[in-house]
Amino acid sequence: MYSDFIITGIYLVLMFAAGLFFSRNIKNTSDYFLAARSAPWFWIMGSIWATNIGFLHGYLAHGGAAYEWGLIQANFEWFQGPFGYILSGIFFIAFYWRAGIFTVPQFLERRYGAAISTIYSFAWLIIFVVTIAAELYLGGMFLKNILHIPFWPTVFVLTAVVGTYTLLGGLGAAIMMEFVQFIIMMLGTLPLLFILLNIVGGFAGIKHVLISQWGVSSQYFTVLPDIHHPYGPGPWIILGQCLVVTLGWCAGHQSMVQRNLGARSLYDAKLGYVAASIPKTLGAFLYIVPMIAAPIIFSQFGIFVEKSDAAYGKLILNLLPQGMVGLFIAGLLSAGLSSISSVLNSSSTMVIKDFYERFFVKGKSDHHYFIAGRIATFGVIAVSLLLVPVVLKVYLIMWLEQTLIAMVLGPFMGVLMLAIFWKRANTPGSLAGFLTGGAFAIFMQQVMHINIFFQISWWSFVVTLAVTVVVSLLTKPPDKAKIEGLIWESDFKAKLGVVVSQRAETNGTRVLAVPEIKIHKPAWYLNLKYWATAVLLIQIILLFFFG
Amino acid sequence: MTEEYQGADPKLIVAVQMISIGIIIFVLGVTVFLLSPLDKMTPFIRLSSLLTNGSMVVTGILFGIGGYFRLRKVKKTKK
Repeated sequence: MYSDFIITGIYLVLMFAAGLFFSRNIKNTSDYFLAARSAPWFWIMGSIWATNIGFLHGYLAHGGAAYEWGLIQANFEWFQGPFGYILSGIFFIAFYWRAGIFTVPQFLERRYGAAISTIYSFAWLIIFVVTIAAELYLGGMFLKNILHIPFWPTVFVLTAVVGTYTLLGGLGAAIMMEFVQFIIMMLGTLPLLFILLNIVGGFAGIKHVLISQWGVSSQYFTVLPDIHHPYGPGPWIILGQCLVVTLGWCAGHQSMVQRNLGARSLYDAKLGYVAASIPKTLGAFLYIVPMIAAPIIFSQFGIFVEKSDAAYGKLILNLLPQGMVGLFIAGLLSAGLSSISSVLNSSSTMVIKDFYERFFVKGKSDHHYFIAGRIATFGVIAVSLLLVPVVLKVYLIMWLEQTLIAMVLGPFMGVLMLAIFWKRANTPGSLAGFLTGGAFAIFMQQVMHINIFFQISWWSFVVTLAVTVVVSLLTKPPDKAKIEGLIWESDFKAKLGVVVSQRAETNGTRVLAVPEIKIHKPAWYLNLKYWATAVLLIQIILLFFFG
Repeated sequence: MTEEYQGADPKLIVAVQMISIGIIIFVLGVTVFLLSPLDKMTPFIRLSSLLTNGSMVVTGILFGIGGYFRLRKVKKTKK
């Protein structure tokens, strides 16, 4: 136990020191919010994966759900994640790059105006603050359970470490730490899988014990269960989760998109996103498969687990020796810290770019906004810290996060698809569609009492599409000059890289100049098509075995 | 406009990031190796532990060396 404590301590000190060291290089808003557009594709790959995997959306919550519901939880990792990563990487990111933006709401503003962009920013800011508070809470509880250290000092130390390196170093520090965390998560938590499989006799051994001896339903071992499954019916997984939620998450979540905007070239941004689907696929072997085997281990060792969220901690404490537990804790802390830092950095970017610079203090120097960005980072982490006691006492806040995500992702995908593919979509149409879609999501959840998140997202997406189309057709079409460069055209590739700063100036928004697009033929092993094909083949093989 | 407001060199940023990543991974790998009671582990767990720590140390060294050469290149270009 003592050695595990030392390893965890050294890990946190190293993160803190590296953040301070790196921050000396950060000098303006481009450095702070977009890491000076320096990140190569492999940085993006590790960073996106680490951003996506946390305590909340990863080891503890997803692992706990897998312990309860089985392999269905792996569809996040095996199908939807890679699907969203590849489509967003190949397609949506190019539009964001072309528009020369810092945030996703800035894209919505260019296409549809300020109202929808402000609503979208505001909803995500609430989601982000709640996410940080929940991650801090889960991190504190996890260390309290494993190392038996008090909850609040742990939360303060975690806040100080992640807050310092994100506040001082911005996106560059966040990406750097996320890459470290990517390596530690991969190397530190993978041994658990092999140790477990060695004990239970491989995946076939798990199936044999659970199905033949314990009489568990075969639905526990499928990623696409039938329509009557209470947690995730197969058809809703394909429609709601793959086509709406995951795609909306990958193309509309500021933290995911911001990492791509910080890439050194558009090609690096695209390849980073597509390549991230490989570790995403591997993620299921880090926290889904071990949790499916966990009931057998608990039964063998006579361990009682009161809550599914606590299953992961119990498993490592009882299976791994000293030292490896310390590394494992570092790996799990990495998951939480990477999620916090990415969301924190994105929140401050949105506060400054979508609110402060747009509504409150216009036309100041770059240095002013750079300092304001650091203050905003401090403000967001402070508010999140204040919310931790609320998370501690009630689960209302988690309900709020889930409701907001359900409200936002379906309508967002609806207006984004029309923004890009339909010239006729206009401001009144998108606003009416977005608000109606969001209201319909609340209606389904609160009045119709539908609890299947994927189903809510799908129907709110459909309603948004329908309302946007009808209202757009009934109102004036958008000004052609204003939407130029923001919609899909047959000669899109040739126009890629057109600087739209003139339009941005007329909109009264400060933007970064669109980076120079360097078109060069990549080495064969970096060919985007090969990577995407490899990922799709892996998905087909996995679906064949576990579908 | 003073020099401090000019943006950082993207290549310098990547070099510094690589060195930092290398140091963190290397130090953590060595620490875990030194604190692990290898003699008390079963053979399978010992092998897993050694492979994990070894991979971390090698990854750390590779990133450190890569970052150092990148940093040297950036400094040479500046001169």
